Parts: sequence; structure tokens; C-alpha cells
Amino acid sequence: MKLRLILAAKLVGAFALAVPVQAQADNSVALVLGTKGSPFYQALQCGAMEKAEELGLALNVSAPELFAADVQVPVVNAVTAASPDVAVIVPTDMQALIPPMRELAERGTQVMTVDQTIADTSFLETQILTDNEAGGAMAAQALSELLGGEGKVLVITQPPGSLAQDARTAGFEAELENHPGLEYLGAQYQRNDPQRAAEIVTSTISAHPDLAGIFATNDQGAIGAITGLRQADAAGRVKMVAYDASSAQVSALKNGELQALIAQNPKQQGQVAMELAAQLIAGESLPEITLTEIVTITSDEPEKAERYEYIADCM
Amino acid sequence: MSEQATNLVYHDRASLEERLLNLLATGWIFLLLLVLVAVFYALRPEQFGSAYNIQQLAINAAIFMVLAVGQTYVIITAGIDLSVGSVLVFASVVSAKVMLFLSGEPGTTFGTTEAGWGIVAVGVLTALAAGAAWGALNGALVAYARIPALIVTLGTMGMALGFAQIITGGVDVRAMPERMVTHIGSGELLGIPVLVLIATATVIVAGIMLHLTRFGLHVYAVGSNEEAGRRSGIRVHRRLVAVYTLCGMTAGLAAVMANARFGTTTIGGHVMANLTTISAVVLGGTSLFGGKGSVFGTVVGVFIPIILLNGFVILGIPPFWQTVAMGAVLIAAVWVDQLKRRLRKRS
Repeated sequence: MKLRLILAAKLVGAFALAVPVQAQADNSVALVLGTKGSPFYQALQCGAMEKAEELGLALNVSAPELFAADVQVPVVNAVTAASPDVAVIVPTDMQALIPPMRELAERGTQVMTVDQTIADTSFLETQILTDNEAGGAMAAQALSELLGGEGKVLVITQPPGSLAQDARTAGFEAELENHPGLEYLGAQYQRNDPQRAAEIVTSTISAHPDLAGIFATNDQGAIGAITGLRQADAAGRVKMVAYDASSAQVSALKNGELQALIAQNPKQQGQVAMELAAQLIAGESLPEITLTEIVTITSDEPEKAERYEYIADCM
Repeated sequence: MSEQATNLVYHDRASLEERLLNLLATGWIFLLLLVLVAVFYALRPEQFGSAYNIQQLAINAAIFMVLAVGQTYVIITAGIDLSVGSVLVFASVVSAKVMLFLSGEPGTTFGTTEAGWGIVAVGVLTALAAGAAWGALNGALVAYARIPALIVTLGTMGMALGFAQIITGGVDVRAMPERMVTHIGSGELLGIPVLVLIATATVIVAGIMLHLTRFGLHVYAVGSNEEAGRRSGIRVHRRLVAVYTLCGMTAGLAAVMANARFGTTTIGGHVMANLTTISAVVLGGTSLFGGKGSVFGTVVGVFIPIILLNGFVILGIPPFWQTVAMGAVLIAAVWVDQLKRRLRKRS
């Protein structure tokens, strides 16, 4: 009994000692990616790691198993428990991530988003984004140029609900208004599943043998669409523009199965995130939104494609 | 006469040994849980051991806990339910739609509504009923149509998700009653999160029902030997339907909890819920071949991956290692189960 009391007292003591300490290594930064094993997020991670080392930040990277809110929330909670100085998060849902991220901010961590964002930005220090709508419009322009302004076009995207993908489709559709020669067949949904994208392409070609162009709003859709075109023996004849620049997409661009890429620069996003984190730690305030670049890469620019390719060159 | 007597004695001894072995099986996984907690605590006491983190661990476990309790019942009958995640999504969507309709703002897909407790109650009942309906369908197909549970629930997994997408057009319903989100999703009662209280109550009720009632005994009997169960007068088909319905209802309850917690439906999520709960149940010492298992074991099994993830993130271990560690623990758990079986055969 006595022993137990002493033990209990010690435990309480340990807790009491532990609570005010709360200290991690100074300049600690947490980066929570959208999902594990994606070349895009790994490239972002590489950019961040490189910059963090240069700036003397202690960076911890974590990622959920899937790009889904229910899987990411526990990761954000754990980051909250670790209470770093700054947390950079790729939120996987614009609403479900608000409460855990607000809690993270309320417990003294300075929070910013990168790549994606959330509906309530009141507690964020900044959002690092690309202009997805502009990217969608760039895709429409590139496709129109490839097709000489005429033909049937199809969009392959994610089901509605992802801000970024929705914006790309919206931007593409809006820009189509300026190209009356292009006949829009509408958007078809794949769920990050190349197999589905391939099926969509082959069955669309069955329905519309004169399909002229495809815009895929992400790499999985593009990879599947290329497979579908190959299967239908239409690769190269049907022009394709795709968002992102994964290795598979870049090699498809080089061998002529894909005619143009709308590339982001994940490495730059990671670097910018760390620069902004360092500024936050130094007590500076940041603009509400920081935009990073997007570029159009056409098939006659292989070196540019290599420069923008999403590669995790640090792993 | 004397032969019967020795048989009886032998049986008693076997069951004692069995019990000890069972204890060992759930025991070692419990030990593993304690070791994980001790290691993470020792490495990062002020972060891992903080009251905040412990509370978050419990909240993160809550939804899986409710789902895994239903799964435990199903697996004890030698069945499996792959549809839990999709049924959760379906129930959450239907419940959210009903609450949105009743609160008179059917156009809104964002923010929160002013719905009162009456509407929330209707939403909860809708979710439970929707879950139970899918469960009953699963059970009927398994028991009466005699289709293997793996196939039945694989089918309903797709159907439930598909219907959820049809109902919503694939767009999450984002307007939940404010009261539900603040009082259930992030609310506390006596300092304990409401979600954790719901999970705890579910575990206690399910545990009592499984281990102390006739219904529970029948569940074990159906799982260990269906034919023997039938011959001793158990209405096996009805019991199976009841078990799957119960599992569906836990998915419905989990749907309410998810809606309250995330403040939105999560159609794209819960993809891994079936495998997560099945591995939690197996980790907890429940046999995939049926007839054996406990709710307590499942509770331990649910916490293992959650604590692993939390600890790894806090320690800053690269994300892929968590996946590897989880897989290894699962295989080790089943291996111990096999060892146990072999020991039993030898005795």
C-alpha cells in the first residue's frame, strides 16, 4: 500500500515535471502529406527536407495511409500532441480537417496548408496553393491548339468534392466557351483508379469514334487514359493533355502518347513551405495566400519536362 | 459408466488448458500493447503521455471500436463482414440527408444547421435502421441463400457505397446539425469525450451480451459447429441474421459518430475500415474459424494500430515503417493462434 502510494506520488511528480517542459527541439516543423507513396508528395517532401536542412529547421514528415480524412485526422492529432512550432498540412478534406487543425492552432502551433486547403482559413497563417482554375484553362488552350480548335473533347477527373480537381475541371470548362469549335462530351469520374480511367476512354471511343482530345486532371487519370488509348489503338491520334508531371506522364510525353502537361512544382512548394515556416518562427507575418507556379510543357520541350518531373530524388 | 466419467474429467482438464492458452493468446497481445505504451511513453513522456494525447487516442479508437465489436460477433460465427465501411458511409449519407431535409434547408451543402435534438434523434434512428437493414440483408443471404459471407459482404460493400454515391451524386453532405457536432462530435460529459462514452457503452453492452447471455452462447455454438448447434435446437438461421443485423447496426452507430466527429459525411473515406476491424478482431485472439473470441480482446486489438501510428508520428519515424510494423504484428498474432491450436491437438 505504502509502496503504491509512493509510486503514485512519483508518477504524479513525473507528470507535474513533464507538463511545463513541453519543449521539443527548437525550430521544430511538422509536415503532414496527403498520402504515403505519391511521387508528388514525395517530391514536395524532398524539397522541404532540402530547405529545412539549409535553414536549420528540425523537420518531421508524416503521412496517412490513404488520401482520406478519416485516416488523416489521427495523424494530425499525433502531430498536435508533439506540438511543433510550425505545422504544414495537406488537408485531405476541406471540412473534416477543420476541427483537428483548429485544435492544433489553438495549442500554440502555427499552422499553414500546402497543395490543398480548408473551408475555414481564420486560424491559418498562410495557404500555399497553385491556381488550379488557371491550370484548367491552360489545359483547354493547349488542347485547342493541338486540335486546331475543332473536335470532341472529354474530361477525366475525380468525383466532385476535391477542391483542386473541381477547380481544374471548372477552369477547363470555362475556357472552352472561348473555343466554340470544341464539342464538350462532359466529365467522367475515376477514383484515383487507372483501370477505371482506361475503361472510360475505351467505351467513350466506342460511342464517339471521332473523339479528338482528352484532358485528365491528375496523373492516375492520365496513366489510365493512355492505357485506354493504347488498347483502342488510338494513342497519338487522340490528343491528350494531362495535369501533373509524374515519371510515367513525362515518358508518355516523350514517346508521343501525351501531347502536353500542365505541371506544378512540388519541390518548390516544399521549399516555399519551409521558407515560410522559418519566417513564422522568426516572428514575421505572412500573406494570406502564397501562389506557386504552374507551367505548360509541350512534347517539343523534353528538357523542361525533365526539370519539372515529380521525382523523389532524396530517397 | 467409468469410461464416461474419465471422459468427463478429461474434458474438464482440456477446457482448463484451453482457457489458459486462450488467456496466453489475448494475454500476449495485451502485453504488446503495454510494451508499446511503455516504450513510447519512455521516449516522449511529455508528448505521448499528455492528457491531450491520451484523450485523442481514445477518440481515434472510438469509431473503430464500435465497428470492431460488431465484427467480433460476425467472426465468432465463422463469418466475415467486408461491408462495414460502406454501410457506415451509406448510413451516414442517409442520416445526414434526412436531418437536412427535416431542418428545412435541403439546398445547403455547407456549414451547419440549426436542427434541434428531435431531428438529431431521427437522424440517429435513421442511421441505425439503415445499418441494420444492410446487416439483415447480409445475414439473410448468408443464412438462407447459403452464399459465402465473403462474397455476400463483398457484394453489399459495393452496393452500399454505390447507393450512397447515387443518393448524393458523389458530393459529401456537409451540413450537419450544429448541436450534434458540438455536443456529440467534440462534446464532453464529466470530462470524457462523448464519442468515447458511446464506444465504451457499446463495448460493455456487447461484452455482456456475448459472454453472459444465452444469445451469446448461441453465437459461439453457431460458430464452433453449426450442425451441432442445429441439432441441439438452436435456430441457426435466425441467429446468423441477428448477428449480421447487429453488425450492421454498429456500422450505423459508427456512422452517427463519424458524422458528428467530422461535421460532414466522408464518402471517400472508410475504405480500410473492414480490414482494420478484421485485423483488430484477429489481433484480439478471435479465431477466423469461428467459435472463439472475446470483446475484451477486440478492444486491445483496436488500440494496437492506433497507438503504433500515434507513437510513430510523434517520434518522427518515416511513415512507411508503420505499415510494415502493423503487418508484422498481425502475422505474429495469427502465428500464436496456430501455435495454440497445435498445442491443443497434442494435449
